Amino acid sequence: MSWPGYRWVAYGGAAGATAAATLVGLAMRPHFELVNIAMVYLLAVVAVALRFTRGPTIGASVLSVVAFDYFFVPPSGTFSVDDPQYLLTFAMMLGVGLVVSQLAAIVRAQAQVRARLALDAETERIRNALLSSISHDLRTPLAVICGASSSLAGRTDLSPEERRELAQDIFTQARDMSELLAKVLEMTRLESGAIALQRDWAALNEIAGSVLRRLEERLATHMMMIDLPAELPLVRVDSVLMEQVLANLLENAAKHTPPRTLIRLRAQASGQVMTVSVEDFGPGLDEGELEHVFDKFERGGGWVSGRGGMGLGLSICRAIVRLHGGAIWAERLPGGGAAFRFTLPLEPPPEMPAGDCAFVNG
Amino acid sequence: MAEARGTILVVEDEPEIRRFLRSSLGAEGYKVVESPAGQRGALDAGMHKPDLVIIDLGLPDLDGVEVIRRIREWSPMPILVVSARTQERSKVEALDAGADDYVTKPFGVGELLARVRVALRHVRRNGIGEDLVLGESRINFEKRVATRAGREVHLTPIEFRLLGCLAKHLGLVVTHRQLLREVWGPSHVEHTHYLRIYMKQLREKLEADPVRPQHLVTETGIGYRLVADEP
Repeated sequence: MSWPGYRWVAYGGAAGATAAATLVGLAMRPHFELVNIAMVYLLAVVAVALRFTRGPTIGASVLSVVAFDYFFVPPSGTFSVDDPQYLLTFAMMLGVGLVVSQLAAIVRAQAQVRARLALDAETERIRNALLSSISHDLRTPLAVICGASSSLAGRTDLSPEERRELAQDIFTQARDMSELLAKVLEMTRLESGAIALQRDWAALNEIAGSVLRRLEERLATHMMMIDLPAELPLVRVDSVLMEQVLANLLENAAKHTPPRTLIRLRAQASGQVMTVSVEDFGPGLDEGELEHVFDKFERGGGWVSGRGGMGLGLSICRAIVRLHGGAIWAERLPGGGAAFRFTLPLEPPPEMPAGDCAFVNG
Repeated sequence: MAEARGTILVVEDEPEIRRFLRSSLGAEGYKVVESPAGQRGALDAGMHKPDLVIIDLGLPDLDGVEVIRRIREWSPMPILVVSARTQERSKVEALDAGADDYVTKPFGVGELLARVRVALRHVRRNGIGEDLVLGESRINFEKRVATRAGREVHLTPIEFRLLGCLAKHLGLVVTHRQLLREVWGPSHVEHTHYLRIYMKQLREKLEADPVRPQHLVTETGIGYRLVADEP
């Protein structure tokens, strides 16, 4: 608890609490004994102790003693004390302030320890889920690869066509495993904070073009509709990571909707943000899924699931978009279907070179 | 097997990957020389004078980029880099150090052989005298004329220079830095947004579908690649 300006806020809070206690005390004075008014000051000290650290608490104790003395202890309006009993009251007020601030500090420390333990437990839970999920998703391709390659190596009675099919199976499964591994590594790097964004000016159309080229084969089963205005402004992003976001969203849409479903990639800029959407016209998401699809290892339970695949893709998307200062969410489309949208903050456009005659409109 | 189509030096520490490269390159008629480490690789390049070098960036003894620098000190032989995905930075470093192209691990044989062919062809046909054909678009650099579906398209001087720079490395990737230095000069190598704007203009003028370009291809995080139609 030592953010800049903390001292001002804390000591101001201590002074404010004492002033409030004084006002309450003045209102109480006609009807209550002075000892009870001292209790009001104690209450203020305790409140400060719970909220702030030791220094401000001692400050509040001292101020309370001074104010109590000045406003209430006879002769009021002076700092002199007729009855030495009140010296004991002062000592008690100071003492209570110190003890309470000490207790509050201990409680705060314990709360921090408990929060860290809870975080550790959560990390542990995620790690276990990750391990079981990965081993599950690796088992099938590994079984195929072992089976197919041992057939190729050991059997002599296979027709050329059969050999080609087995080899093709090995290739496909190995490629999927490699993709999965890349995702796991990426998530690990994102989580550990090991990724420093390589931000540079980029055109979303270009990133999209590159993704569509990369995923051509995998998206071939679906109908793609690209709706990217030519005049979209440039964004300052890490293009490699942004390409990953688009790839994961598009792949996700293709994986969880039946073949020939329409998938639409859209983007629009307004004001300070660009909003990018991947919409599909498949079965859509359940209400409960909207919240949790971005959590790790959440598989689209209700979706038509052709290939397996853990929900690592979407949580990678969320991590990357957040790193860029944007937000990502899922929506249900009115006519059925799901929309995944994310925002990117827009910055003032960069300066362009002068002197090329055809540079008319950006 | 007929006479070798050329000698390829493979600098790679993993024996399984060397074996798979030897078998697939050998089947295509190339003679393969293998180096299991970087120091050896740099020496072998001098000794065997191969027509092309394939080099893994993750070598145990010497940084692959360093091997490329050593080769480039004395030879322009085509160099193909093999590296893992998520290593965009080291790819760019290798390309800026003089490598001609890259393949990302894991790769299929088809992809690798295509890259090898382009890199070898590039050496033989080192000139841009004939028309560059990109689908419906034709560009003649000598006459400074571009047409699309027979109709003239006006390209600005910078657009011509950018396209020319890509055409000089036809089929190969060219990094942002290389393009910016060649087209705008050394003081502009950080101004990636120039490229974004001008590539967009070029695509709108020359590509059938600018969002899904077939010729002016983006290599995200690395640069651009000009892909012409096979003659």
